[in-house]
Amino acid sequence: MSEALPACIADFDGCITCGDHAVELRVVSVDDGRGLAVCADERGASTEVDVLLVAPVRAGDRLLVHAGAAIGRAAE
Amino acid sequence: MRFVDEFRDAELGGALAREILSTVEPGRHYKVMEVCGGHTHSIYKYGVDDLLPANVELVHGPGCPVCVIPMGRVDDGIAIAHEPGVIFTCFGDMLRVPGSAGTLLDAKAQGADVRMVYSPLDALRIARENPDRQVVFFAIGFETTAPSTALTLKRAKAEGFRNFSCMCNHVTIVPPLRALLDSPDLRLDGFIGPGHVATVVGARPFEFIAADYDRPVVISGFEPVDLLQSVQMILRQLAERRCQVENQYSRVVPYEGNLRALQVMAEVFELRPHFEWRGLGFISQSALRLSDGYADLDAELRYSVPGVRVADPKACQCGEVLKGVIKPWECKVFGSACTPEHAIGTCMVSPEGACAAYYNYGRFAREREVV
Repeated sequence: MSEALPACIADFDGCITCGDHAVELRVVSVDDGRGLAVCADERGASTEVDVLLVAPVRAGDRLLVHAGAAIGRAAE
Repeated sequence: MRFVDEFRDAELGGALAREILSTVEPGRHYKVMEVCGGHTHSIYKYGVDDLLPANVELVHGPGCPVCVIPMGRVDDGIAIAHEPGVIFTCFGDMLRVPGSAGTLLDAKAQGADVRMVYSPLDALRIARENPDRQVVFFAIGFETTAPSTALTLKRAKAEGFRNFSCMCNHVTIVPPLRALLDSPDLRLDGFIGPGHVATVVGARPFEFIAADYDRPVVISGFEPVDLLQSVQMILRQLAERRCQVENQYSRVVPYEGNLRALQVMAEVFELRPHFEWRGLGFISQSALRLSDGYADLDAELRYSVPGVRVADPKACQCGEVLKGVIKPWECKVFGSACTPEHAIGTCMVSPEGACAAYYNYGRFAREREVV
Protein backbone atom coordinates (compact mmCIF):
# COMPACT_ATOMS: atom_id res chain seq x y z
CA MET A 1 0.00 0.00 0.00
CA SER A 2 1.43 3.32 -0.98
CA GLU A 3 1.52 6.18 1.51
CA ALA A 4 1.83 8.72 -1.28
CA LEU A 5 -1.75 9.96 -1.27
CA PRO A 6 -2.10 13.62 -0.27
CA ALA A 7 -1.18 14.32 3.33
CA CYS A 8 -4.10 15.05 5.59
CA ILE A 9 -2.98 18.49 6.63
CA ALA A 10 -4.17 22.00 6.07
CA ASP A 11 -2.23 22.47 2.89
CA PHE A 12 -3.08 24.10 -0.38
CA ASP A 13 -4.47 20.94 -1.94
CA GLY A 14 -7.00 20.42 0.80
CA CYS A 15 -7.81 17.10 2.34
CA ILE A 16 -9.35 14.25 0.40
CA THR A 17 -11.05 12.74 3.39
CA CYS A 18 -12.01 15.48 5.82
CA GLY A 19 -13.67 17.74 3.31
CA ASP A 20 -16.71 16.55 1.44
CA HIS A 21 -14.66 16.26 -1.69
CA ALA A 22 -14.16 12.96 -3.46
CA VAL A 23 -11.35 12.07 -5.86
CA GLU A 24 -11.31 10.06 -9.06
CA LEU A 25 -9.27 6.87 -8.88
CA ARG A 26 -8.79 4.03 -11.36
CA VAL A 27 -9.31 0.39 -10.34
CA VAL A 28 -6.08 -1.62 -10.48
CA SER A 29 -7.24 -4.95 -9.07
CA VAL A 30 -10.41 -6.31 -7.50
CA ASP A 31 -10.99 -8.61 -4.53
CA ASP A 32 -14.61 -9.54 -5.26
CA GLY A 33 -14.91 -11.81 -2.24
CA ARG A 34 -14.24 -8.95 0.19
CA GLY A 35 -15.83 -6.17 -1.85
CA LEU A 36 -12.52 -4.33 -1.96
CA ALA A 37 -10.33 -3.04 -4.78
CA VAL A 38 -6.90 -1.51 -5.05
CA CYS A 39 -7.28 1.85 -6.79
CA ALA A 40 -4.66 4.31 -7.99
CA ASP A 41 -4.61 8.01 -8.74
CA GLU A 42 -3.00 9.63 -11.79
CA ARG A 43 0.39 9.68 -10.06
CA GLY A 44 0.26 5.97 -9.29
CA ALA A 45 -0.35 6.27 -5.55
CA SER A 46 -2.62 3.41 -4.57
CA THR A 47 -5.01 2.63 -1.77
CA GLU A 48 -7.55 0.00 -0.80
CA VAL A 49 -11.13 1.03 -1.51
CA ASP A 50 -14.48 -0.44 -0.48
CA VAL A 51 -16.39 -0.88 -3.76
CA LEU A 52 -19.62 -2.49 -2.51
CA LEU A 53 -21.68 0.60 -3.35
CA VAL A 54 -20.70 0.58 -7.02
CA ALA A 55 -20.08 -3.14 -7.62
CA PRO A 56 -19.39 -4.87 -9.89
CA VAL A 57 -16.16 -3.14 -10.84
CA ARG A 58 -13.38 -4.17 -13.17
CA ALA A 59 -9.75 -3.19 -13.51
CA GLY A 60 -9.63 0.08 -15.42
CA ASP A 61 -12.96 1.46 -14.13
CA ARG A 62 -12.87 5.07 -12.91
CA LEU A 63 -14.48 5.55 -9.51
CA LEU A 64 -15.30 8.53 -7.35
CA VAL A 65 -13.72 7.71 -4.00
CA HIS A 66 -14.18 9.38 -0.66
CA ALA A 67 -12.84 8.26 2.72
CA GLY A 68 -11.95 4.80 1.48
CA ALA A 69 -15.28 4.06 -0.19
CA ALA A 70 -16.33 4.41 -3.82
CA ILE A 71 -19.54 6.46 -3.80
CA GLY A 72 -20.01 6.75 -7.55
CA ARG A 73 -18.60 6.17 -10.97
CA ALA A 74 -16.75 8.87 -12.85
CA ALA A 75 -17.66 9.51 -16.47
CA GLU A 76 -15.74 7.35 -18.93
CA MET B 1 -5.75 14.66 -17.91
CA ARG B 2 -9.27 14.00 -19.17
CA PHE B 3 -12.12 15.57 -17.15
CA VAL B 4 -9.59 17.84 -15.45
CA ASP B 5 -7.81 19.78 -18.18
CA GLU B 6 -10.99 20.81 -19.99
CA PHE B 7 -12.53 21.95 -16.71
CA ARG B 8 -9.51 24.16 -15.98
CA ASP B 9 -9.37 25.62 -19.48
CA ALA B 10 -8.65 29.36 -19.26
CA GLU B 11 -10.29 30.17 -22.60
CA LEU B 12 -13.48 28.37 -21.64
CA GLY B 13 -13.41 30.10 -18.27
CA GLY B 14 -13.04 33.47 -19.93
CA ALA B 15 -15.96 32.77 -22.27
CA LEU B 16 -18.15 31.82 -19.32
CA ALA B 17 -17.08 34.95 -17.46
CA ARG B 18 -18.19 37.06 -20.45
CA GLU B 19 -21.49 35.17 -20.57
CA ILE B 20 -22.02 35.84 -16.87
CA LEU B 21 -21.29 39.53 -17.39
CA SER B 22 -23.88 39.72 -20.14
CA THR B 23 -26.48 37.92 -18.00
CA VAL B 24 -26.38 40.07 -14.85
CA GLU B 25 -28.70 43.02 -14.51
CA PRO B 26 -26.71 46.19 -13.76
CA GLY B 27 -27.60 47.62 -10.36
CA ARG B 28 -28.77 44.31 -8.98
CA HIS B 29 -26.61 42.64 -6.33
CA TYR B 30 -26.58 38.83 -6.47
CA LYS B 31 -25.69 36.65 -3.50
CA VAL B 32 -25.00 33.03 -4.38
CA MET B 33 -24.12 30.53 -1.66
CA GLU B 34 -21.76 27.65 -2.34
CA VAL B 35 -22.87 25.09 0.21
CA CYS B 36 -19.83 22.85 0.10
CA GLY B 37 -16.48 23.64 1.67
CA GLY B 38 -14.78 21.91 -1.25
CA HIS B 39 -16.29 24.53 -3.54
CA THR B 40 -15.02 27.33 -1.28
CA HIS B 41 -11.55 25.86 -1.52
CA SER B 42 -11.70 25.60 -5.34
CA ILE B 43 -13.04 29.15 -5.71
CA TYR B 44 -10.03 30.65 -3.97
CA LYS B 45 -7.49 28.17 -5.25
CA TYR B 46 -8.37 29.07 -8.85
CA GLY B 47 -9.48 32.67 -8.30
CA VAL B 48 -12.96 31.99 -9.63
CA ASP B 49 -14.40 35.00 -7.79
CA ASP B 50 -11.98 37.29 -9.64
CA LEU B 51 -13.70 36.34 -12.90
CA LEU B 52 -17.12 37.37 -11.63
CA PRO B 53 -18.65 40.83 -11.92
CA ALA B 54 -18.45 42.80 -8.68
CA ASN B 55 -22.20 42.56 -8.18
CA VAL B 56 -22.09 38.76 -8.05
CA GLU B 57 -21.09 37.84 -4.52
CA LEU B 58 -20.24 34.30 -3.47
CA VAL B 59 -21.32 33.50 0.07
CA HIS B 60 -19.78 30.54 1.84
CA GLY B 61 -22.11 28.03 3.41
CA PRO B 62 -21.96 25.56 6.27
CA GLY B 63 -20.64 22.68 4.17
CA CYS B 64 -17.36 22.01 5.93
CA PRO B 65 -17.91 18.98 8.16
CA VAL B 66 -15.05 19.89 10.47
CA CYS B 67 -16.16 23.49 10.90
CA VAL B 68 -19.60 22.61 12.22
CA ILE B 69 -18.46 20.29 15.04
CA PRO B 70 -19.13 22.05 18.37
CA MET B 71 -16.51 22.20 21.10
CA GLY B 72 -18.47 19.93 23.43
CA ARG B 73 -18.24 17.05 20.94
CA VAL B 74 -14.47 17.53 20.70
CA ASP B 75 -14.30 17.38 24.51
CA ASP B 76 -16.29 14.13 24.43
CA GLY B 77 -13.85 12.68 21.91
CA ILE B 78 -10.86 13.71 24.01
CA ALA B 79 -12.43 12.09 27.08
CA ILE B 80 -12.72 8.79 25.21
CA ALA B 81 -9.15 9.15 23.88
CA HIS B 82 -7.90 9.35 27.48
CA GLU B 83 -9.65 6.10 28.45
CA PRO B 84 -7.08 3.40 29.33
CA GLY B 85 -6.28 1.07 26.45
CA VAL B 86 -8.09 3.11 23.82
CA ILE B 87 -6.65 3.82 20.38
CA PHE B 88 -8.57 6.88 19.18
CA THR B 89 -8.70 7.36 15.41
CA CYS B 90 -9.96 10.24 13.30
CA PHE B 91 -9.29 12.22 10.14
CA GLY B 92 -6.36 14.61 10.23
CA ASP B 93 -8.25 17.90 10.32
CA MET B 94 -10.11 16.83 13.43
CA LEU B 95 -6.86 16.49 15.37
CA ARG B 96 -6.39 20.25 15.45
CA VAL B 97 -9.93 21.35 16.25
CA PRO B 98 -9.91 23.03 19.66
CA GLY B 99 -12.15 21.78 22.43
CA SER B 100 -12.58 23.67 25.68
CA ALA B 101 -9.24 22.45 27.03
CA GLY B 102 -7.13 21.67 23.99
CA THR B 103 -7.15 19.55 20.87
CA LEU B 104 -6.84 15.85 20.17
CA LEU B 105 -3.22 16.57 19.24
CA ASP B 106 -2.75 18.00 22.74
CA ALA B 107 -4.31 14.84 24.15
CA LYS B 108 -1.81 12.82 22.09
CA ALA B 109 1.04 14.90 23.52
CA GLN B 110 -0.30 14.13 26.99
CA GLY B 111 -0.05 10.39 26.32
CA ALA B 112 -3.36 9.43 24.72
CA ASP B 113 -2.99 7.07 21.75
CA VAL B 114 -4.54 9.26 19.04
CA ARG B 115 -3.94 8.24 15.43
CA MET B 116 -4.81 9.86 12.13
CA VAL B 117 -6.52 7.66 9.55
CA TYR B 118 -7.52 8.25 5.94
CA SER B 119 -10.65 6.13 6.15
CA PRO B 120 -12.80 4.18 8.61
CA LEU B 121 -11.43 1.02 6.97
CA ASP B 122 -7.99 2.04 8.25
CA ALA B 123 -9.42 2.30 11.76
CA LEU B 124 -10.89 -1.20 11.42
CA ARG B 125 -7.50 -2.49 10.25
CA ILE B 126 -5.91 -1.01 13.38
CA ALA B 127 -8.53 -2.86 15.46
CA ARG B 128 -7.69 -6.10 13.66
CA GLU B 129 -3.99 -5.61 14.33
CA ASN B 130 -4.55 -4.72 18.00
CA PRO B 131 -7.00 -7.27 19.39
CA ASP B 132 -6.12 -6.41 23.00
CA ARG B 133 -6.91 -2.71 22.54
CA GLN B 134 -10.19 -0.86 22.02
CA VAL B 135 -10.21 1.18 18.80
CA VAL B 136 -12.62 4.11 18.51
CA PHE B 137 -13.31 5.88 15.23
CA PHE B 138 -14.47 9.52 15.48
CA ALA B 139 -16.75 9.80 12.46
CA ILE B 140 -17.37 13.19 10.88
CA GLY B 141 -18.74 14.29 7.55
CA PHE B 142 -21.86 14.86 5.52
CA GLU B 143 -23.61 12.27 3.37
CA THR B 144 -20.45 12.00 1.28
CA THR B 145 -18.57 10.37 4.14
CA ALA B 146 -21.38 8.60 5.99
CA PRO B 147 -21.58 5.66 3.52
CA SER B 148 -17.92 4.83 4.17
CA THR B 149 -18.54 4.74 7.92
CA ALA B 150 -21.69 2.69 7.40
CA LEU B 151 -19.90 0.11 5.25
CA THR B 152 -17.13 -0.20 7.82
CA LEU B 153 -19.61 -0.70 10.65
CA LYS B 154 -21.36 -3.40 8.60
CA ARG B 155 -18.01 -5.14 8.14
CA ALA B 156 -17.21 -4.81 11.86
CA LYS B 157 -20.57 -6.32 12.79
CA ALA B 158 -20.36 -9.12 10.22
CA GLU B 159 -16.85 -10.05 11.35
CA GLY B 160 -17.80 -9.88 15.04
CA PHE B 161 -15.36 -7.17 16.11
CA ARG B 162 -15.60 -6.57 19.86
CA ASN B 163 -12.77 -4.05 20.07
CA PHE B 164 -14.09 -1.51 17.55
CA SER B 165 -16.60 1.28 18.06
CA CYS B 166 -17.64 4.54 16.46
CA MET B 167 -18.41 7.97 17.90
CA CYS B 168 -20.78 9.21 15.25
CA ASN B 169 -20.82 12.91 14.34
CA HIS B 170 -22.19 12.58 10.84
CA VAL B 171 -24.43 15.44 9.82
CA THR B 172 -26.97 15.92 7.06
CA ILE B 173 -27.02 18.86 4.68
CA VAL B 174 -30.69 19.65 4.17
CA PRO B 175 -31.71 20.74 7.73
CA PRO B 176 -29.02 23.46 8.03
CA LEU B 177 -29.94 24.75 4.57
CA ARG B 178 -33.56 25.02 5.66
CA ALA B 179 -32.42 26.79 8.86
CA LEU B 180 -30.37 29.21 6.77
CA LEU B 181 -33.27 29.88 4.43
CA ASP B 182 -35.49 30.59 7.44
CA SER B 183 -32.90 32.93 8.93
CA PRO B 184 -34.13 36.54 8.84
CA ASP B 185 -30.64 38.06 8.52
CA LEU B 186 -29.72 36.31 5.30
CA ARG B 187 -30.74 37.11 1.76
CA LEU B 188 -29.62 34.68 -0.91
CA ASP B 189 -30.47 34.53 -4.61
CA GLY B 190 -29.38 30.99 -5.34
CA PHE B 191 -27.35 27.97 -4.31
CA ILE B 192 -24.40 26.11 -5.79
CA GLY B 193 -25.32 22.61 -4.65
CA PRO B 194 -22.79 20.17 -3.16
CA GLY B 195 -21.65 17.84 -5.95
CA HIS B 196 -20.35 14.97 -3.91
CA VAL B 197 -23.10 14.96 -1.29
CA ALA B 198 -25.46 14.81 -4.28
CA THR B 199 -23.54 11.83 -5.66
CA VAL B 200 -24.92 9.96 -2.65
CA VAL B 201 -28.30 11.61 -1.97
CA GLY B 202 -29.08 12.74 -5.52
CA ALA B 203 -30.57 16.07 -6.55
CA ARG B 204 -34.10 15.42 -5.28
CA PRO B 205 -33.47 16.46 -1.62
CA PHE B 206 -32.66 19.98 -2.85
CA GLU B 207 -35.96 20.43 -4.69
CA PHE B 208 -37.56 22.06 -1.62
CA ILE B 209 -35.24 25.07 -2.08
CA ALA B 210 -36.75 25.79 -5.47
CA ALA B 211 -40.29 24.71 -4.60
CA ASP B 212 -40.70 26.23 -1.12
CA TYR B 213 -38.19 29.11 -1.13
CA ASP B 214 -38.14 30.14 -4.80
CA ARG B 215 -34.36 29.91 -5.12
CA PRO B 216 -32.49 28.23 -7.97
CA VAL B 217 -30.09 25.39 -7.16
CA VAL B 218 -27.36 24.08 -9.46
CA ILE B 219 -25.50 20.93 -8.39
CA SER B 220 -21.90 21.69 -9.30
CA GLY B 221 -18.58 20.01 -9.94
CA PHE B 222 -15.39 21.21 -8.31
CA GLU B 223 -13.22 22.47 -11.14
CA PRO B 224 -13.15 26.20 -11.97
CA VAL B 225 -15.11 25.83 -15.21
CA ASP B 226 -17.71 23.76 -13.33
CA LEU B 227 -18.16 26.57 -10.83
CA LEU B 228 -18.34 29.32 -13.44
CA GLN B 229 -20.87 27.35 -15.45
CA SER B 230 -22.94 26.77 -12.31
CA VAL B 231 -22.96 30.48 -11.50
CA GLN B 232 -24.01 31.17 -15.07
CA MET B 233 -26.84 28.60 -14.83
CA ILE B 234 -28.10 30.20 -11.61
CA LEU B 235 -27.99 33.70 -13.13
CA ARG B 236 -29.80 32.47 -16.24
CA GLN B 237 -32.56 30.96 -14.07
CA LEU B 238 -32.88 34.28 -12.24
CA ALA B 239 -32.97 36.22 -15.51
CA GLU B 240 -35.68 33.91 -16.84
CA ARG B 241 -37.60 34.02 -13.52
CA ARG B 242 -37.18 30.26 -13.10
CA CYS B 243 -36.43 28.35 -9.89
CA GLN B 244 -35.32 24.77 -10.50
CA VAL B 245 -32.78 22.21 -9.41
CA GLU B 246 -30.34 21.77 -12.28
CA ASN B 247 -27.44 19.33 -12.44
CA GLN B 248 -24.26 20.83 -13.88
CA TYR B 249 -22.28 17.83 -12.54
CA SER B 250 -24.22 15.21 -14.47
CA ARG B 251 -20.99 13.47 -15.49
CA VAL B 252 -20.86 12.19 -11.90
CA VAL B 253 -24.16 12.88 -10.13
CA PRO B 254 -27.19 10.71 -10.95
CA TYR B 255 -30.41 12.61 -10.19
CA GLU B 256 -31.51 9.80 -7.86
CA GLY B 257 -28.14 9.49 -6.09
CA ASN B 258 -26.58 6.19 -5.06
CA LEU B 259 -29.46 4.02 -3.89
CA ARG B 260 -27.20 1.35 -2.42
CA ALA B 261 -25.43 3.96 -0.31
CA LEU B 262 -28.77 5.30 0.91
CA GLN B 263 -29.88 1.76 1.84
CA VAL B 264 -26.70 1.07 3.80
CA MET B 265 -26.99 4.39 5.62
CA ALA B 266 -30.64 3.70 6.46
CA GLU B 267 -29.66 0.36 7.98
CA VAL B 268 -26.72 1.57 10.06
CA PHE B 269 -27.83 5.06 11.11
CA GLU B 270 -30.89 6.81 12.41
CA LEU B 271 -31.58 10.52 12.76
CA ARG B 272 -30.79 12.22 16.06
CA PRO B 273 -33.73 14.28 17.35
CA HIS B 274 -31.43 17.30 17.39
CA PHE B 275 -27.73 18.12 17.11
CA GLU B 276 -25.70 21.19 17.88
CA TRP B 277 -23.96 22.88 14.96
CA ARG B 278 -21.16 25.25 15.65
CA GLY B 279 -22.44 28.77 15.13
CA LEU B 280 -25.86 27.61 14.02
CA GLY B 281 -27.11 26.17 17.32
CA PHE B 282 -29.34 23.12 17.69
CA ILE B 283 -31.00 21.92 14.50
CA SER B 284 -33.66 19.21 14.54
CA GLN B 285 -32.96 15.90 12.79
CA SER B 286 -29.70 17.20 11.37
CA ALA B 287 -27.30 14.46 12.41
CA LEU B 288 -26.95 10.71 12.51
CA ARG B 289 -26.36 8.20 15.29
CA LEU B 290 -25.98 4.46 15.17
CA SER B 291 -29.24 2.55 14.88
CA ASP B 292 -30.33 0.03 17.52
CA GLY B 293 -28.95 -2.81 15.42
CA TYR B 294 -25.47 -1.30 15.74
CA ALA B 295 -25.69 -0.17 19.38
CA ASP B 296 -22.90 -2.60 20.33
CA LEU B 297 -20.54 -0.56 18.15
CA ASP B 298 -21.63 2.83 19.51
CA ALA B 299 -18.76 4.48 21.42
CA GLU B 300 -21.16 6.89 23.09
CA LEU B 301 -22.89 3.91 24.74
CA ARG B 302 -19.65 2.09 25.48
CA TYR B 303 -17.92 5.00 27.22
CA SER B 304 -18.99 7.68 29.61
CA VAL B 305 -18.53 11.14 28.05
CA PRO B 306 -19.03 14.59 29.61
CA GLY B 307 -21.73 15.53 27.08
CA VAL B 308 -21.45 19.16 28.14
CA ARG B 309 -22.39 22.00 25.82
CA VAL B 310 -19.49 24.44 25.52
CA ALA B 311 -20.01 27.95 24.22
CA ASP B 312 -17.75 29.09 21.38
CA PRO B 313 -14.97 31.54 22.31
CA LYS B 314 -16.40 35.05 22.39
CA ALA B 315 -13.81 36.39 19.96
CA CYS B 316 -14.69 33.74 17.37
CA GLN B 317 -17.25 34.63 14.71
CA CYS B 318 -17.35 31.24 13.00
CA GLY B 319 -21.12 31.20 13.33
CA GLU B 320 -21.55 34.34 11.28
CA VAL B 321 -19.01 33.09 8.74
CA LEU B 322 -20.83 29.75 8.46
CA LYS B 323 -24.12 31.55 7.84
CA GLY B 324 -22.48 33.79 5.27
CA VAL B 325 -23.38 36.91 7.27
CA ILE B 326 -19.79 38.15 7.37
CA LYS B 327 -16.71 37.44 5.27
CA PRO B 328 -13.82 35.73 7.06
CA TRP B 329 -11.65 38.84 6.98
CA GLU B 330 -14.39 40.75 8.79
CA CYS B 331 -13.93 38.55 11.88
CA LYS B 332 -12.09 40.38 14.66
CA VAL B 333 -9.43 37.68 15.11
CA PHE B 334 -8.97 36.59 11.46
CA GLY B 335 -5.30 36.42 10.56
CA SER B 336 -4.16 37.81 13.90
CA ALA B 337 -5.08 35.67 16.89
CA CYS B 338 -6.65 33.05 14.60
CA THR B 339 -4.44 31.46 11.94
CA PRO B 340 -4.23 27.92 10.52
CA GLU B 341 -1.27 27.24 12.84
CA HIS B 342 -3.12 28.49 15.94
CA ALA B 343 -6.80 28.32 15.14
CA ILE B 344 -9.43 29.65 17.51
CA GLY B 345 -12.33 28.76 15.28
CA THR B 346 -12.95 25.61 13.27
CA CYS B 347 -13.36 27.54 10.01
CA MET B 348 -9.62 28.21 10.20
CA VAL B 349 -8.68 24.61 11.00
CA SER B 350 -9.93 22.74 7.98
CA PRO B 351 -8.68 23.60 4.49
CA GLU B 352 -12.33 23.35 3.46
CA GLY B 353 -13.19 26.09 5.97
CA ALA B 354 -13.90 29.52 4.55
CA CYS B 355 -11.39 31.25 6.86
CA ALA B 356 -8.56 28.87 5.95
CA ALA B 357 -9.35 29.26 2.24
CA TYR B 358 -9.22 33.04 2.55
CA TYR B 359 -6.04 32.94 4.64
CA ASN B 360 -4.20 30.41 2.48
CA TYR B 361 -4.96 32.29 -0.73
CA GLY B 362 -4.13 35.73 0.60
CA ARG B 363 -7.66 37.15 0.82
CA PHE B 364 -6.94 39.18 3.93
CA ALA B 365 -9.31 41.98 2.98
CA ARG B 366 -11.59 42.56 0.09
CA GLU B 367 -13.69 45.52 -0.84
CA ARG B 368 -15.37 45.29 -4.21
CA GLU B 369 -17.16 48.01 -6.01
CA VAL B 370 -20.70 47.14 -6.97
CA VAL B 371 -21.43 47.80 -10.64
